[in-house]
Amino acid sequence: MDFFYTYIVLAEIYVLLGLSTNLLVGIVGIFSVSQAAVFGVGAYLTAFLVMQTSTPFLVAVLLSSILCIGLNILVTLPSLRVSGDYFVVTSFGIQLLATAVFTNWTGGTGGANGLPGVPAPWIAGHEFVEPSEFAVLATGGMALGCIAFWLIMRAPFGALLRAIREDELAVAALGKSVLRAKVSAAALAGAFAGSAGGLYASFLSFIDPSSFDLDASIFLLTMVVVGGARTLAGSVIGPFVLLALPQILALIDIPSSVAAAARQLIYGLLLIAFMLFRPQGLLGEKL
Amino acid sequence: MLWLHLLVNGLVWGCALGMVAVSFSLVFATTKIFHVAHAAVYGLGGYLAWSALKHGMPEWAALLVGIVACAITGTLIQKLLYERLDRRGATHLVILIASLGLSAVMQNAVAAVYTSNVLQFGLPWAARTTAIGGVLLTTAQMLTVVAGILSYLGAMWFAHRTVLGKRMRAVASNPFLAEITRLQPRQVHIAVMAIASAMVAIPGVLVPLDLGLQPFGGVPILLTATIAMIAGGVGSISGAFLVAVGIAVLQNLSLLVIPGEWSIGITFGIFVIFMLFRPRGLFAG
Repeated sequence: MDFFYTYIVLAEIYVLLGLSTNLLVGIVGIFSVSQAAVFGVGAYLTAFLVMQTSTPFLVAVLLSSILCIGLNILVTLPSLRVSGDYFVVTSFGIQLLATAVFTNWTGGTGGANGLPGVPAPWIAGHEFVEPSEFAVLATGGMALGCIAFWLIMRAPFGALLRAIREDELAVAALGKSVLRAKVSAAALAGAFAGSAGGLYASFLSFIDPSSFDLDASIFLLTMVVVGGARTLAGSVIGPFVLLALPQILALIDIPSSVAAAARQLIYGLLLIAFMLFRPQGLLGEKL
Repeated sequence: MLWLHLLVNGLVWGCALGMVAVSFSLVFATTKIFHVAHAAVYGLGGYLAWSALKHGMPEWAALLVGIVACAITGTLIQKLLYERLDRRGATHLVILIASLGLSAVMQNAVAAVYTSNVLQFGLPWAARTTAIGGVLLTTAQMLTVVAGILSYLGAMWFAHRTVLGKRMRAVASNPFLAEITRLQPRQVHIAVMAIASAMVAIPGVLVPLDLGLQPFGGVPILLTATIAMIAGGVGSISGAFLVAVGIAVLQNLSLLVIPGEWSIGITFGIFVIFMLFRPRGLFAG
C-alpha cells in the first residue's frame, strides 16, 4: 500500500506544480521552462530551514513560498519586456543557471550528491512519516491549490489574465494594468511551486539537483500539455497519468541503463503527438 | 601567458559557436520558429560521424555522413512536423512545445543507443598539436577555425548572392508578400532547414573531436548561440557570428577569475540582466 500512497502523494505535489506551470504557460501565455528551478529553490529552502534552524514545517513551507513568490516574479519579469521567443532563451537560461547553483554550491545544497535527512513534517505534535499519513497533508495542499486556482479563474482577474494572453494591447487600451496582472500571476505560480517544493523535500527526505533540472521542467510542461492546458481538470489529471507511466514502463523489460532515457523519450513523443493531434490535451482547451 | 592561451581558445570555440549561431539565425529569421531541436541535430551529426568512423569509413567520409544525415533530418523535421503544424494553424506556443518535445526525443534516442557516457573519437591526428605564436593548437581546433570562417563566408555568399538566398531573405522580411509573389515560402523553409542543419553538423562533428560526444551537450551550446543571435540582431549573419566569437572569448577569459563550472551559469546570468535592460539586442537603436 505504501507504494500506492507514494504515487498519490507525488502526483498531488505535481498537481501543485502543474497549476503553477499551467497558470503561466496556459493561462497567461508566458512560455516558461524554468518552473522546476523555482520548485527546487522551494525544496532546498524548506530543507535548510527545517534542518539547520529547526523551523516548524508549516512556517518553513510558508517562508519558502514567500521566497518563491519573489523569485518567480523576478524570473518572469523579463517577459514583460521581451516578447515570446526572447523570453524562451531567458527562461532556459534561468533553468541552467539554477541547475548550476544546485550542483555547484556544495555548501548550501550538498551539490550533485544531494541533501539527505530532511525530517518528516511535524505539525501540532503529530509526525507525518508514513506515506499514508503524508497523503493527508499532500491532499490538503493540493485541495488548497485547486480551490485557489478555481476561484481565481472564475473571478474577473482570471478573465483579465486570459485576455492578456489573447491581446495584450487591447487589455492595456482598456486601462487595465498588464504589468500588475502578470506580476500577480507570477506570484501565484511562485507560491504553488514553492509550497510544492517544501512538500517534496519533506516527503522524500532526500533531494538532489536531478529533480529540478531542465528535464524536470520539460516533464512539468508535458504534464500540463497531456492533461490539458488552461483548465483545472487538465492540471489535476496530467500528473496522475504521467506519474503512472514509469510504473507501466517498469512492467516492460527495459535495461535500467536506458530506462531514464526511454522515459524522457516518451515524454518528448507525448509532447509532439499531443501538439499534432490533440493540442487541447485530455481535458483542456486548445492551445 | 595563460590569458593568451584562453584568448585563442575562445576564438576557436567562438568559430564553432558562430556556426551554430549563424545556422540557427537562418532558420529563426526565415521560418520564425524557435527551433529548439537544432540542439539535437547538432548532437546527432557528431554521433553519426562517430558511427561511420567506427564502421571503417575514412574521416572525410564520416564528416560527410554527419552533414548529409543532418540535412535530411532537418528537411524531415520541417516537412513532417513544422509544416504540418503550420497547416493546422498551430500557434507559436504549440510549435515551440513540439520542437522541445522533438529535442527531447532525439537526444534521448541518442542517449539510449550510445549511452550517456562521453564518447571519444580517439583520432591521433586530430589531437596532434602545432605551436602558433606560442600557443599550442590541436589539428581539430585549426579545422574548426577554418570551417567556421568558411561557413560564415559561405552563409554570407548564400544569403546575398544566390537566388535561393534572396528568396530566403524575402520570405524572412515579409512572408505574406513572398507568398503572393509566388516565392513559395514553404519550399524556402524546407531548403533553409536543410542548409542550416547541414551547417550545424560541421561544429557537431569538429567540436567533439576535441571534447568528446555527449548526448545532451547541444543544449547549452545552442542557448549560448541563440544569445549571440539575439544580441547580434536577429537576421544579421555577421552580427550572430561576431557576437558568438565575442561571447566565447569572454567565457574563456572569465576562467581567469571564475571557476569553470560556473561559466555557463554566468553567461546566462549576464544574458538575463541584459534582457531586462536591453531587450532588443546590442545593435538595435
